[in-house]
Amino acid sequence: MRKFLSLLLAVLMIASLSGIAFAEETTAVGTPRTETLIVETQTPTDVPGQFNSYMQGTQMGFGIHQLMSAMMWEMDTVKGEQFGEVAEGMPESNEDFTEHIVKIRQGIKWSDGEDLNADDVVFTFNMIMSNKGISQCDYYNTVFASIEKVDDYTVKFVTKESFPRLALKFGVTIWGNDCRIVPEHIYSKVEDVTTFKDSEPVVAGPYTVKAYDELGNWILYERREDWQNSTVGVVTGKMPQAKYVWFRYLGDDTTRQMSMINNEADILCEVTPEILDVMTSYNDKIACWYNEFPYATSDDPCSKGLSFMMGKAPYDNVDFRWGITLAMNFDEISMNVFDGVGRASCFPILTATSAMQELYYKPLLPWLENEFVLDLGDGTTVKPFDSGYAARMAQKLGIKGTEDELIDMFGIGCWKYDPEAATKLLIKAGLEKKDDGWYYNGKPFVINMTYLADTEAQAGRGVIAAYDQLTKFGLKCNLSSESSATWDTNAAIGSYDIAGYWPTGGITRDLYSQINGWDADLIVPLGERGSGQGSRWNNAEATEIIHKLAKVSATSDESYELGMEFVKIAIQDMPFIGFHSGVKFVPTNSTYWTNYPCAENPYNGPWWWWSCFKYITTEITPAA
Amino acid sequence: MKFWKYFGLRLLTWALTIFIGVTFIFFIPRMFPSDPVETMIGQIQSRSGQMDPQQMESLRRSLRVQFGLEGSLGEQYVSFLWKGLLHFDFGPSLMSYPTPAGEIISTYLPYTLMLSLFSTILAWCVGNFIGLLAGFRKDKRSSKIMEGIAICIYPIPYFIIALVLQIVFAFLLGWFPLQTTITMMGTTADYIASLLKASVLPAISLLLVGTGWWIISMKSMSSTTAAEDFVLYARYRGLSEGKIGRSYVFRNSILTQVTALAMSLGGVFNGSIMTEIIFSYPGVGTLIQKAILQSDYNMILGCITISIVAISTATLIADLIYPLIDPRIRYS
Repeated sequence: MRKFLSLLLAVLMIASLSGIAFAEETTAVGTPRTETLIVETQTPTDVPGQFNSYMQGTQMGFGIHQLMSAMMWEMDTVKGEQFGEVAEGMPESNEDFTEHIVKIRQGIKWSDGEDLNADDVVFTFNMIMSNKGISQCDYYNTVFASIEKVDDYTVKFVTKESFPRLALKFGVTIWGNDCRIVPEHIYSKVEDVTTFKDSEPVVAGPYTVKAYDELGNWILYERREDWQNSTVGVVTGKMPQAKYVWFRYLGDDTTRQMSMINNEADILCEVTPEILDVMTSYNDKIACWYNEFPYATSDDPCSKGLSFMMGKAPYDNVDFRWGITLAMNFDEISMNVFDGVGRASCFPILTATSAMQELYYKPLLPWLENEFVLDLGDGTTVKPFDSGYAARMAQKLGIKGTEDELIDMFGIGCWKYDPEAATKLLIKAGLEKKDDGWYYNGKPFVINMTYLADTEAQAGRGVIAAYDQLTKFGLKCNLSSESSATWDTNAAIGSYDIAGYWPTGGITRDLYSQINGWDADLIVPLGERGSGQGSRWNNAEATEIIHKLAKVSATSDESYELGMEFVKIAIQDMPFIGFHSGVKFVPTNSTYWTNYPCAENPYNGPWWWWSCFKYITTEITPAA
Repeated sequence: MKFWKYFGLRLLTWALTIFIGVTFIFFIPRMFPSDPVETMIGQIQSRSGQMDPQQMESLRRSLRVQFGLEGSLGEQYVSFLWKGLLHFDFGPSLMSYPTPAGEIISTYLPYTLMLSLFSTILAWCVGNFIGLLAGFRKDKRSSKIMEGIAICIYPIPYFIIALVLQIVFAFLLGWFPLQTTITMMGTTADYIASLLKASVLPAISLLLVGTGWWIISMKSMSSTTAAEDFVLYARYRGLSEGKIGRSYVFRNSILTQVTALAMSLGGVFNGSIMTEIIFSYPGVGTLIQKAILQSDYNMILGCITISIVAISTATLIADLIYPLIDPRIRYS
């Protein structure tokens, strides 16, 4: 028996080695592995071969908008600034922002050799406005009076009302944008663009489709031979290094890990710290944003925390919301979520990305530490801000660094853990504390807490940690997870008490796009679906600022000042308790490719699923 | 005359089963506290940040019209009965609008059928053969070993077997791909080769568990049948063991197995969700799962209607061929 087992083991090892050796030569789609960058896509597509972004169901994140799409304006995710991609620079607007002249970048060619010029831009906008079947049609008609060609490389946009944010609305600010320029010479000949699959797309991006899986699991892209004429080629002058980029769906978490360990994938989208730990222990070529603690980047613009349903009492009461905030020990929450990893993002609505921390968080520090107080209702007050969080976490986790480094890692601070003040605030809000727990309106008070079960580990763990804190404080809470089937519907109709929604997002200095959904005029009764924030925050001052901001240039000082004022009001009213900014463990494998963006070389963020990925492809170089 | 009455009753049962089944499956998803329009808006927002309120309202209006959710429930039901049930036109997939749900199902169904049909039929044949031997010759050592193996394998959930197969043969040995990669590039032979390579592990995982079940059930029936008086009488008559096994034990034990096979064959249209997830194998199982999570009513209707029709039809066929297999039914 022992002989048999030894023989079996030897055979397995030889076969294993031969298998790995074979895998190094070519990919499963027949391309040389050393020339193929393998990128994970988050979900397979049900409509393979469909590349038209104006036909619904097209899965843009499958490499389509990362490698092929032509955007009017793209995003420098490090600086938080837009730059022209198809457009040459930013729009020039008249004084009341109703006419906007946009220059088109010269030299960009479609992959069939035709020039990309004003005709394509004018055609694309008019195509959207004249096709009811395109979901953006109504909105574009609300905004634009006309879009006309001035000359081959100039377009004039006329808006129906003052519209100071043309680039922000129709260019990329985070993930991408629905406005993608299409080749007029192709799309103008199509009878119905909403049913045109565009299976052999003519593109302006640096890659074209070489092949795709008819079952929707992968798409193989090939670098254009004339990459110099692509958007990336013209904007940067640099060649994307990988000849092929293979976007593939890798399956469940177990298979994703095994694929990465076996070097069958170069880039994954996002994993949990536990998965990263397993992968790095098996394969030392796998790394994350940082090589050491905290590993993950904290610059994803969607902070996670607790969202209140403020359309009902007592959640509509600011004292209640602040009571809940101070009842929780953020140090413990932080340890429970990702073992202390993550930058505290305590401001409601505004995520503490690196840029936002500099623009809004740090300038507000003196106000937070010296001026901002809460009235506890019994004649006493409390200063709720705690600036010692970074130092405490560093000590707890044994992290050394300068003050600036620690603040970059852990944030400028968090809200205090002050159960006594929390008790007073809840009483001020109308709750009653009895021997057997808290009461509201004479009835036992129970908070229903929910989180999304399927994805977003950070948000889910945050809610679970908050549940522990509030239960420890003495509040009775129910905790439940929801599937994605009901999650978004409940958000829209307001069917929750406290939930792990993430209603924040944005990395630009101008806050309008991030906050205009919080306009109280958009609030609809509970049970109905509105177009504003589902949490129904009704604050007249904040709404007034949003209305003022709508008429102000995004690049003006006034925009910044109004943004700052809005942030202060939001802090005072606490419509959302932010825990951390978006913490992303995004692993890369340097066996075949190196120079991925990372903390030591942050030329971009690790956002493979954003449209800015095409600018990262010029920097990723072969390992050999 | 008796046969036609038997046939007519079975046909009526078949039609009623389908009608009641699809009626349930039409109304139940619409009672879910979910909304495909909100799900789609939520998906768009979660990946691209906050949406302009005007833009969101426009999108919501546009999607409700496009998804055909504006009409009354009664109108939608009548339309479904006419188009969906009689013409198998389930309308557009809500999540992949305007691609018809039927088109998406027809892309994945052949792969589900190939995998599940092959593994179900092979498991049935192998399992019944081994089960017959184990039950008919239960005192032999080989029969006991075979039964032991079946008892060990059967209770293991098929996805555990799938995981073990994946870890050993794909991750450690690298003999098979970790996930399904079927390449359409190159020749037909390349395509078939990649398809077979991708299907081996999923098929084995289904085959092993399926075989175990058939062995156990057939062994149980054949050992009972083998102890019947008429088998004893056949032995007294001096008939060979092979003849007794084939004509006396097998024919009498196979009846319930045929019904069970018919049910299993109908069930193959549902796919095998866990196997499909583990191996990223394209199939109807994951399609149904996604459709439920995204409230894609038309896709749910399409997949389940096909399944209901398939299971009912398979059961009807089994009922109709009973008289051919069992003379007792034919003459009763």
